[in-house]
Amino acid sequence: MKSLRVLLALVLVGAVAVTAAPRPAADAQSQTIKIGLLYDHSGPFSAAGSLNCWRGAKMIIDYVNERGGVMGKYKIVQVDGDSQSKTEAAINEAERLLNVEKVDILAGIYSSAHAVPLAEKVDRQKKFLWITTAIADAVVKDRNLQFTFRPQPNGSLFGEASVQYVAHYAKDRLRKAAKDIRAAIIYEDGPYGTGVAASNEAEARKQGMQVVLKEGFSAQAPDLSSLVTKLRASRPDVIFHTGYNPDIALFLRQAKEQGLRTRIYVGHGAGHSQLAKLKEAFGNEVEGFHTTDPPASQLIDPKRLKPGVWDLTQEMVKRYKAFEPTIPVGQIAPHVSMGFNNMWILLNDVLPRAIQQHGGFGPEALAKAARETDIPEGGTMQGYGVKFQPAGHPMAGQNMRAIAAVFQVVDGEFKHVYPPVVASLSNPPVLLPASSPFAFR
Amino acid sequence: MIDPIFLAEAAINGLLLGGVLALLALGLNLIFGVIDIVWIAYVDLVMLAMYAVYFLVMVYGWPIWLAGLAAIGVGALLGIGVHVLIISPILGSAPVNQLLATGGLLFFLQSFATFLWTTDHRSVRLALPVLEVAGIFVSFARLIAFVIAILAMIGLYLFLTRTYIGTAIRAVAQDREAMALMGADPRRVYLVTSAVGGAMAGLAAALLSIQYSVHPYFGAAFGPITFMICVLGGLGNMVGAFVASFIMSEIISIGGVTWSTEMGYVIAFALFIVMMFVRPGGILTKRE
Repeated sequence: MKSLRVLLALVLVGAVAVTAAPRPAADAQSQTIKIGLLYDHSGPFSAAGSLNCWRGAKMIIDYVNERGGVMGKYKIVQVDGDSQSKTEAAINEAERLLNVEKVDILAGIYSSAHAVPLAEKVDRQKKFLWITTAIADAVVKDRNLQFTFRPQPNGSLFGEASVQYVAHYAKDRLRKAAKDIRAAIIYEDGPYGTGVAASNEAEARKQGMQVVLKEGFSAQAPDLSSLVTKLRASRPDVIFHTGYNPDIALFLRQAKEQGLRTRIYVGHGAGHSQLAKLKEAFGNEVEGFHTTDPPASQLIDPKRLKPGVWDLTQEMVKRYKAFEPTIPVGQIAPHVSMGFNNMWILLNDVLPRAIQQHGGFGPEALAKAARETDIPEGGTMQGYGVKFQPAGHPMAGQNMRAIAAVFQVVDGEFKHVYPPVVASLSNPPVLLPASSPFAFR
Repeated sequence: MIDPIFLAEAAINGLLLGGVLALLALGLNLIFGVIDIVWIAYVDLVMLAMYAVYFLVMVYGWPIWLAGLAAIGVGALLGIGVHVLIISPILGSAPVNQLLATGGLLFFLQSFATFLWTTDHRSVRLALPVLEVAGIFVSFARLIAFVIAILAMIGLYLFLTRTYIGTAIRAVAQDREAMALMGADPRRVYLVTSAVGGAMAGLAAALLSIQYSVHPYFGAAFGPITFMICVLGGLGNMVGAFVASFIMSEIISIGGVTWSTEMGYVIAFALFIVMMFVRPGGILTKRE
């Protein structure tokens, strides 16, 4: 027994040794800015977009460093933290990055469930927090945070955009007035899902739609069949779904098996935006699906952008190939843009101004520089401009110029379909195709 | 008021879910009943075997039934490996140390799977028919899983009652010290039990693979509920775990349709807490 145990242990250690690869240490230099990137490298959020955000952020940091750093002379030292898809781990990692690694800036944060407690904790320490991804209004709303800034659109915009899109096409595609549309809203029960669902409901009522079902669920639930049964009973024309993963995949599998049929299916970010992964699981059955997220840089019409901005998008697409060589451009998740573009705003706009006009890159200087940010529409890779709500505003620190876009899967690739300012397809199908197993017949 | 058709559908779905939960719970309970250690990482062994099914079917093109048989073998080997490497050295340790060791194994397996296969969700894609009878939709994958799970449980019952080693396993579960005094080798019984428990994890993996995506954190969805079912049924009590599986799954399913999805889970967990006060030894034990 003992020798068998020793043999098994040796095999295991050998397997680890063979597969483990050494990782290069960060190269600190004399003039450096230390940025802590906090995303989920493990746990379910990782594959639901967090890893893609980190890739985007890393790519722009590498790009800037290859050109000498911020303003050509301040190299970025990237220190990674892993939130592990757990709130307590996110808080501990933020604490480590800020107080052990002594980073100058804490950036990233994928999940709103992490961002809500983190933002207040970091702000209380008077440290600078740059949120690239988490969208829940509750992260900044009525908190008057002084050192927290979010270039990313907030959750309310997601919920409003998706409902407005359906209302916009209701008469033409559904042959119904908005008041006759039966809308079902389902959502994961964290701050992200509840926030988007609340704005879905408010906007649906504003548009006069009938909300036939609104129900939350845990993203970790092992079974969603009862939710599918209730959806079938409520006969919705459109389903608005806010989830992470694996709940999205579970819901879709059970919806298909239990004969759930609808006419329009609209997701909101996270797992719904990882098209390449969704296609691995469901193949062409995802045709006609929607997601709602900030615009994906590579889908923006270059003519709508300021000179030079599109070149950066091409750089992003080129560099992403190193991570995912087989994913077509039209399937790259918008999360890559969130990491890349939102970090670029920090490195290219906020940091230079903080150093040049406010004496460095401490939290006070960075906060002042961020409040002065004034990028017009078309000035960033994702098409939107940047202007942060001022201190004292209910949404202080939130980018008031950010927009959420609705995407549809058309011919296997994402297309921007709403709002018109970013739409790459002016006459989208909207409805699920007749061939879809989820389509109402 | 919910249409009775949908209520009936929820009851059937609950029944089918219960079959899979029972399979998970029986494997875990068998091991606890005999070895007296809770394998907190049991569902993570299921996760590893699900990866085996995924790679065999989607990468190497094996038919699902053959991959399922292979998963049973993988599960049995994993069960033996866990017993030899982790459990055997701590058999005489304090229960809290045993829990910490198997809990540590859980984190190790999750991290190891992330390291090897990333956090991507991987699905075995099969073209399965949609079953509809009188307006009630039944998941074909779940129906298959339910039938096989029930057959496996009957097989386990026959193994434990009709074979020499099965009788020895039951004897050790009843009184491990007396068995040793009678000259039986409990170490062999432990090894066979771990292999059988692992094989059941492998079978569960095969059945879950056609219903769920696999990812390193799969255990987070099924681990807690499996453990709760074992406790509700009485740790080590096979019949209790079987009954508890269906009680929990029906509450989740019918509660979900009658009130809300979240409420279904709330009621199931509330019942668990209440039963811990009323019947701390499990639902089938007599109150002292």
